[in-house]
Amino acid sequence: MAFVFKKQIFGFMDLLRFKKLVPKRREKLAEGSDAPLPKTYAVNETAKILHPGYQSAKLVSVEQNTADTKTYTFETEKPFYFRAGQYITVGCKIGESEVARPYAVSSAPKAALEKKVAVTVKKCGYFSGYLFDEAKVGDMFVLGDPSGEFCYEPVKDVPHIVALAGGSGITPFYSMAQAIADGTNDFRLTVFYGAKTEQEIIFKKELDALVSDKIKVIYVLSDEEKEGYEHGFIGADLLKKYVSGDFTVMMCGPAAMYAFADRELTAFALPLRRIKKEANCVGARDVEPKTWQLTVHIGFETFTVPADARETVLVAMERAGLKAPSKCRAGGCGFCHSKLLSGKFSLAGADKRRLADGKFGYIHPCCSYPDSDMELIVPKADLPEGM
Amino acid sequence: MKKYDAVVIGAGNGGLVAAVRLLQGGAKTLLVEKHNLPGGFATSFRRGRFEFEASLHELNDFGTADNAGDVRDLFDALGVTDKIEWMQIPEAYRVISRAEKLDATMPFGVKEFIDKMESYVPGSRPSMTKFFDLAEEIRLAQAYSSSVNGKTDSKIMVGQYGNFVRSGSYSVNEVLDALKMPKKAKDILNAYWCYLGAHCDDLSFVHYASMVNRYIRRGASMPKMRSHEISLALVERIRELGGDVLFNTEAVKILTDEKDGGVNGVVLADGTQIQTRHVVANCAPHVVFGRMMDKVPQAEVKATNARKFAGRGMTMFLGLDADADELGIENHNYFLYDTMDTVAQYNNMKTIKDNEVQATVCLNRAYPECSPKGTCMMYFTTLYMSDDWANVKAEDYYKTKDYVANKMIDRFEQDTGAKLRGHIEEISVATPMTYARYCGHPQGVIYGYESQYWDGLMPRLLMMGEDHTIRGLRFAGGYAMRLSGYSSAYFSGDISGRQTVGDIRKEG
Repeated sequence: MAFVFKKQIFGFMDLLRFKKLVPKRREKLAEGSDAPLPKTYAVNETAKILHPGYQSAKLVSVEQNTADTKTYTFETEKPFYFRAGQYITVGCKIGESEVARPYAVSSAPKAALEKKVAVTVKKCGYFSGYLFDEAKVGDMFVLGDPSGEFCYEPVKDVPHIVALAGGSGITPFYSMAQAIADGTNDFRLTVFYGAKTEQEIIFKKELDALVSDKIKVIYVLSDEEKEGYEHGFIGADLLKKYVSGDFTVMMCGPAAMYAFADRELTAFALPLRRIKKEANCVGARDVEPKTWQLTVHIGFETFTVPADARETVLVAMERAGLKAPSKCRAGGCGFCHSKLLSGKFSLAGADKRRLADGKFGYIHPCCSYPDSDMELIVPKADLPEGM
Repeated sequence: MKKYDAVVIGAGNGGLVAAVRLLQGGAKTLLVEKHNLPGGFATSFRRGRFEFEASLHELNDFGTADNAGDVRDLFDALGVTDKIEWMQIPEAYRVISRAEKLDATMPFGVKEFIDKMESYVPGSRPSMTKFFDLAEEIRLAQAYSSSVNGKTDSKIMVGQYGNFVRSGSYSVNEVLDALKMPKKAKDILNAYWCYLGAHCDDLSFVHYASMVNRYIRRGASMPKMRSHEISLALVERIRELGGDVLFNTEAVKILTDEKDGGVNGVVLADGTQIQTRHVVANCAPHVVFGRMMDKVPQAEVKATNARKFAGRGMTMFLGLDADADELGIENHNYFLYDTMDTVAQYNNMKTIKDNEVQATVCLNRAYPECSPKGTCMMYFTTLYMSDDWANVKAEDYYKTKDYVANKMIDRFEQDTGAKLRGHIEEISVATPMTYARYCGHPQGVIYGYESQYWDGLMPRLLMMGEDHTIRGLRFAGGYAMRLSGYSSAYFSGDISGRQTVGDIRKEG
């Protein structure tokens, strides 16, 4: 060593100081309070309101909005909070199956602080059919964590959101409109709401009551011409008629609406950052029916269940009553992240996995169809007790 | 009942390494993690066309195959180095501080670093050279200490590592002053302090010098597929070695033996009981002693209460729709400070209103292909040195997040001249609430217990043996004996994993 380090006049004083490190810490540790350590902390408690995780909830009201749409209001176990535009999963056991679906919340964030949350569901499939025909006030359900990025983002979005809603795709915007009206959010919202007929419009009365200098709603009927309504589809001409200046587009509706809107929006030459689309659930695929065998390791248990080639791996697990986690059902959120031990699969749509997931063989069962027998390790859905 | 030689609670960096070490030592091991992914903070997430790194700015002490650092040696021993694709970070850092009008960009390599410092601060060479000599001796002394599991021979220590011992009880500033380092050189050298989260009047010199030396001497690395690649590689290795890994599985209780008070089981959230005599807890002693054990020795309660939480984290992630050149983002790694008076700066970092510090990375400057052509990704991190976020109610949460995000963007633009506004395609912000949620850390702490003078690296290492008071219970991760940070957490898992193997063998 080229030099001798010395802090004090005599090097041995530095050595003595070093020797005191241990007794000093020993002393400090012994001086700590003997009060019991906290069970929890303020920040962690707030995190639980923002992200309650799975919770059980009682169905407290069912309101028919249109012939094939109903709004289900739940009372939750605990208060929580979310961002207008987010979705929650609603699930329960139907026969031997575990079923859950994501729905955009149609109520206001503030209501969730009072343990009230609503989803508005169009009757169009297995679970919505169950809700429509079977669910009754007093029934218990499992709600998932509020999720999704389909929200107004003040740091990057233009404070004028042009919303394109198709059918039940109005629900996140109805939540946003309520959040603007009650002061939770501050932006201008212009909603173009497409429906086939006047009869099919959900929340007409409620939306009209919310109209203000910040909230505007333009109803667009495709199959009907009526006074007070625009006719046709939501296209560039209509946007130009009602909207000026800068805006961010948010769309929620069926895939066909997105394809049409994308073409129409080329007229505005908007960069990607100005367009947000809510993802739709992955459905069945059109292939020859065939049954594969799925071996699933969940927790310490192993199950062997059939998997229909037309349906996703997640659906196969749900049909068999396995407690598999699911959230977005569109491949994006990664909540169902599972390890593939063997077997082949096809992805529905774009690969939204993390890069390393592909490398180490992890899949998102919600957007993967079986192409052979498969073996997976699936993390268990951490459902509330008794559900 | 399920029976294991050891249960590792938490699949963070420390827990993952501990599990590999246990399995390599022949222990039947269960790893449980409450989240659905491994890694704790070492993960990534997708937004649109971007995959963001969740926390790793640069991996310290990894080095290259021919200039291997201790982390690479550890990863070699674990059998995971080759499962991961690595790349090198191009330069050490750029530090900008307003009060001193400081703007310096520093390279990796000891010689290069000293030369560059001399160009910024003429006359700094002798003290900088001494700094690196001292730092290297510290590294060697630590390697000796690790090789004997902390049971060092004081004659060897004083004889061979005298400078280490003589500087070992001082703070960063006390030693740098003794080396007669010019103030400006100190300011530039101290830029990394926020990586350790204690100010330089309190922070142990040994700890700081050890980190700086490893960065500058070996360079820094990144896995190409973000830290998620490391975490998945470690899980892969655990499964190869026959370990069981359960995600979405929270351990809620550690059961103890009535006779010796030691570990005799673990209870999972669904009520499942696991029989085991050994636990490596990759979580805070505050959590373990606060709610996971029914009978906690009074001395542990006092010791845990005596400790101070380190920084509570906040990170903003931006996906930008123009490349770094176009936006004027010149460097990979920035430290932006109000002042290099680290005590004053530390105090400013106590409140949401006053904290303007950021450690910011543009990953494309290290790895241009990390995002699609014509885009780039950035992440901005800060620490809060008090629980100001505990005052934020759920209904004010999103506005508070936006307030901090806007401040961070403004500050970066003002201090560097880069233009980010108008190019933000994706944004995500993690707050203390986010870290509390994902990793369960009290108050959203991301740095474990603060490296205060009395509770710094040296005394913790020297007391490793006597801190282990409950049979069968050892700790890994940011709260443990090596303190926080990626490499430290990996080392703590290595130490606690190997020590637990020793404990198991002793039991026969």
